[in-house]
Amino acid sequence: MLILTIAWRNVWRNGWRSAVIMLSVAIGLLAGTLVLALYKGMMNSRVQTVIRCETAHLQLHHPAFREEYDVRYFIPGLDTVLHLLRQHPAVREIATRSIVQGMLVSTTGSAGVSIIGIEAEKEKTVSSLQQKLKTEDVSKFKKNQILIGKKLADKLNIEKKHKVVLTFTDSAGNLVSAAFRTAAIYQSDNSSYDEQHVFVQGEALNELLLTNGQAHELAILLHHDDSADSMKQALAKRLPQLRVSDWQDLSPETHLLVVTVDYYSLIIMGIILTALAFGILNTMLMAILERSRELSMMLALGTSRQRMLGIVFMETVFLTTSGAPFGLVAAWLIVYYFNVQGLDLSSMGEEMLSSFGFSRIVYPEFPYEKIPDILLLVVLTALLAGIIPAVRALRLRPAENLKM
Amino acid sequence: MPTVIDAHNISKTYNPETIPVPAIRQVHLHIESGEFTALVGPSGSGKTTLLNLIGGLDKPDTGNIVIAGQDITRLGNASLNKFRMQNIGFIFQSFNLIPVLTARENAEFIMLLQGWPKRKREERIQQLFAEIGLTVKMDVRPGKLSGGQQQRVAVARALATKPQFILADEPTANLDSVSASHLLDLMHRLNQEEHITFIFSTHDQRVIDRARRVITLVDGQIASDTSQVSTEHRQIAE
Repeated sequence: MLILTIAWRNVWRNGWRSAVIMLSVAIGLLAGTLVLALYKGMMNSRVQTVIRCETAHLQLHHPAFREEYDVRYFIPGLDTVLHLLRQHPAVREIATRSIVQGMLVSTTGSAGVSIIGIEAEKEKTVSSLQQKLKTEDVSKFKKNQILIGKKLADKLNIEKKHKVVLTFTDSAGNLVSAAFRTAAIYQSDNSSYDEQHVFVQGEALNELLLTNGQAHELAILLHHDDSADSMKQALAKRLPQLRVSDWQDLSPETHLLVVTVDYYSLIIMGIILTALAFGILNTMLMAILERSRELSMMLALGTSRQRMLGIVFMETVFLTTSGAPFGLVAAWLIVYYFNVQGLDLSSMGEEMLSSFGFSRIVYPEFPYEKIPDILLLVVLTALLAGIIPAVRALRLRPAENLKM
Repeated sequence: MPTVIDAHNISKTYNPETIPVPAIRQVHLHIESGEFTALVGPSGSGKTTLLNLIGGLDKPDTGNIVIAGQDITRLGNASLNKFRMQNIGFIFQSFNLIPVLTARENAEFIMLLQGWPKRKREERIQQLFAEIGLTVKMDVRPGKLSGGQQQRVAVARALATKPQFILADEPTANLDSVSASHLLDLMHRLNQEEHITFIFSTHDQRVIDRARRVITLVDGQIASDTSQVSTEHRQIAE
């Protein structure tokens, strides 16, 4: 208690100097937390794009399908699996998809694509295909029509109502070509996805693949994002004949991005705090120098080395952490504003953001889960910054500093 | 009277490897409980060094210093710290109170280091502040006290844990004559009534006049030492 009292009151002995350090810490934390919030918003948006536009929460496949994308590897016992899934309370919607890798040829060129056969009504609810189409209604999508991504359409000069030819191998190993008319051009937040995926009616594709009534993929949308892990485990146990994948398995590059950015954001915070540590170190060294007589007197009276260390370290911790709440509250207020209003990053290049799968509007999210880590980093910074001043304090020689 | 300090053949030289400055040379000093001793001498005579040595703030190059049966020259830093805390009271020329603590908290400082229980601390503080006449200023910080009041708080701090003896370095040097006189009265009364041993360095003739033993240092050696008995004879003669 004595140590805490002296340390706390020492912080306020030179109010202006302490205020400058506290302001530095507050600004540093504000900047660091805003970066974390921006990253969190971008990553969550990216993950939501992956879940809503590309993978859904979970997907079921034949165990060999994703290795070879062979159309013969359709889901065994599809009706039973669908019945089981529809009974599960965590499941919101299910969409069946037939998938084949093939070539799209237009009058001006060709490109390799994933051809996805969908049930339009179901797909509307599971993925955000409808939002990607903007004006057209996906449910009016006809059997001989195709939906093409904007990037691919731009690349091959395809416009609405243009005819294209899809070529692929059916389940019997025959090369099949079929003409489709472009019903609409869709655009998502991920231009790479738009370039590589085209949609046709599932029924039409199954007829061409000779896989009537079958599906290669079951996309499952859950009521809550949080239940994806437990649901994955449960389904893997219940359906051992199928491979159950979540968005992290299906989009490992996104998962890697999220983990990496998470890690980098803490490194950025660490760099900011390291810079602050030098300011804190300087202030504490000045304080020790100014108080050398007083500290020498305390040593002369019998204050132990541990107590002396305690006083210096606690003072450094108080000095550093006192600014933290101001920085965090300011960050929370700013994040709250932009979380509601959105932060338009178009000036950074809409095309570039889209090519990495990011929306141009970011909604920063306050990184509540990282606050303990941030506070721990702040305390560690204070302790590191306090080492040299503490050593200086311990090296004081009362006989030299006191006229005794 | 029991011996409080027994320093035998102590010497101290500063800068022994560059330009040696002998500060104390083969000094023998014997102080008994209840003494009121003044160390006098010209500047550079070694008064402060001798006080530092017997206060355990510095170590002699040769000789030993036995305080309350313990040779403090053989103690390590941590043990010496603890020994000082338990056995020696300090009064400094510039008061050296902790400015962020109130008068009461300053006086309590060593009791807190020693882990005294709250009730015992409170009783002792009330008693001490009554003795130094500063009961109404207990919760005031040193910055709002006069020099004399600050020095009285320093006396209270030195006395708080009833040490073996109190070392005071020029205790009246920064005080006006009235405050100095009050402080001397206080220290003298504590010595007379509570038999507290005081050893102080001073240039102040008023302090020297009231000392019962005066040790004069010249060039790091004891030039003269009026024993307690001879001082009493002097007082009677006066």
